[in-house]
Amino acid sequence: MAALVLPAALLVLVLLVAPMAMLFRISLNQYSPTELMIEALSPENYLRAIADPYYQDVLATTMGVALSCTLIALLLGFPAAYWLARMESRWKSLAVILTLFPLLVGNVVRAAGWMALLGRDGAINAGLMGLGLIAEPLTLLYTRGAVILGIVAVVAPYMILTLASVIEAIPRQVEEAAANLGAGPLTGFRRVVLPLALPGVAAGSVLVFILCMNAYATPVLLGGPQFKMMAPAVYDQFVKGTNWPFGAALAFVLLVVTLTLTIAGSALLARRSRRG
Amino acid sequence: MRRRDLALAVAALTAGAPRLPRAQGSQVVVGTWGGDYGEILQQGLDAPLARPAGLEPVQDVAPAPPRKAKLLAERQARRGSMDVAALSDVDMYELSQHGLFEPVPALTRAAAVIPALRKPYAVPHIYSARVILYNPARVATPPRSYADLWDPRYRGRVGLSDLLYAQYAETAAIVGGGGPGDFAPAWNKLREWKRLGARVYPSNEALAAGLKSEEVWLTVMWLARGYMWKQAGLQIEHVVPEEGATSITYEMGVPKNSRGKDQAWRYIDLMLDPRAQGAFARRMGYVPTVSDAPLPPDLARQISLSEADQARLRTPDYGYMARMAPDVLEFWNREFKA
Repeated sequence: MAALVLPAALLVLVLLVAPMAMLFRISLNQYSPTELMIEALSPENYLRAIADPYYQDVLATTMGVALSCTLIALLLGFPAAYWLARMESRWKSLAVILTLFPLLVGNVVRAAGWMALLGRDGAINAGLMGLGLIAEPLTLLYTRGAVILGIVAVVAPYMILTLASVIEAIPRQVEEAAANLGAGPLTGFRRVVLPLALPGVAAGSVLVFILCMNAYATPVLLGGPQFKMMAPAVYDQFVKGTNWPFGAALAFVLLVVTLTLTIAGSALLARRSRRG
Repeated sequence: MRRRDLALAVAALTAGAPRLPRAQGSQVVVGTWGGDYGEILQQGLDAPLARPAGLEPVQDVAPAPPRKAKLLAERQARRGSMDVAALSDVDMYELSQHGLFEPVPALTRAAAVIPALRKPYAVPHIYSARVILYNPARVATPPRSYADLWDPRYRGRVGLSDLLYAQYAETAAIVGGGGPGDFAPAWNKLREWKRLGARVYPSNEALAAGLKSEEVWLTVMWLARGYMWKQAGLQIEHVVPEEGATSITYEMGVPKNSRGKDQAWRYIDLMLDPRAQGAFARRMGYVPTVSDAPLPPDLARQISLSEADQARLRTPDYGYMARMAPDVLEFWNREFKA
């Protein structure tokens, strides 16, 4: 039976572990503008990535945006997921497809749509100015808000579908029993549905948080040149700065931070879920 | 039977395999920008000249930074993915320092190339100069020098493109009393520009949109780009700065691990043909790098420099720029854009 895992394991080994090992090796090298990099075994790049206030700031922005997006996606996604899970009409499969629909359009194309809406000459500013509500166009594009909006739109389907599949598995009778025993809708949700849906909340949040931490296209296109998140910063080091060792170190810092926060978050939710 | 069927299927599949690698001797993979540049290569060089000469050009399209990264990543590979790399002079120099390019052989058209633009590792394709662009409806007195862009009158009205940070560093250095080989005065001048509200746009196109909506009135840009924007209906004029314009040359080189060097050089030789050069001048406003491709007087007036301005034309200090590249990027990201 174990042999069944072999092809997939081999693929992961070749396509993921090997490049990661190479990247880790590169991260210990020294940068040289004329020779690309000099072989070394130095923690220097990591020390710089951690100690430099600029990259601390970039990491803090990334974590802030990722947490905000995860929270917003959860708050917006839960009601939608509940409705989807409890839906009994023949339109249910259509509703699922509609939820999935945004994923059929690439991130870049979607960001272009947001740019057309939020830009200085965009639809929103043109509308508000047309109505005489504002005299000067508002700065909507190239802001943190635009990035959060754009990322939430990207990750919402993942959150909704993950939550819906877990909520679907909660027997409706449990909710009815709670109502019979005198629990109002809010108490029923707080004491019955939410605790039972916690594994879904954990799974959806982890998935969405990881996607947000690694977002590239949306922050670049909607955040503009001044806004920096980790994935674009890694790209800048590799491609614009040709500083592969430092770029590799930044990539590993991002990976470790994401992994740590994900594990901590999951553990916290799991403990709550056990306590009921 | 089954086994024979399988063998036949494998045979049928592998029979197609030799077609997968490039057809020997004719295909040329050209690493190039997309958009206008790639299109004009196709229309002005590939279709009328390269294909009739038996070459099959295929474009590997991407902005310059990812293509540079690709060339560097492949540098130790025996067989690279590009036969011709099109890059700016600054990028080409930087990569040539890594020993990436073949030395330029004796080309048929070599004698026609403007001597000042010749390099041992690359062939010049087109060139232009960095100038000031301004909106005449908003800027009553045309600026005369780069230094005028630091005038508090233009607070918040100078637009910059995120892609040209190295060029702005050089501009600031010149204004601060340095030059192409001395960026020391650049940092304070850039800080001053930031305090004066210079706006950074994510791309040249976004900067054009900023100029069009009159969010900004002035910028420092390639004369050729200004010509294209004007053709597209933007209300702008150009001024060659008193400090002297700096040239920008786009070049083509052949990576050492190209799998088709002969056809790559044939392609580059055809690129120097006056017809191909003229196509770039008309559509993109870049001046031919060969002396036997005269431009119509009206076009020449719009895209080339006067003799006096030619005499003051500066060339980038490639070695210095390559050494300073990491510092400039750091400053730009961490201080200027922060």
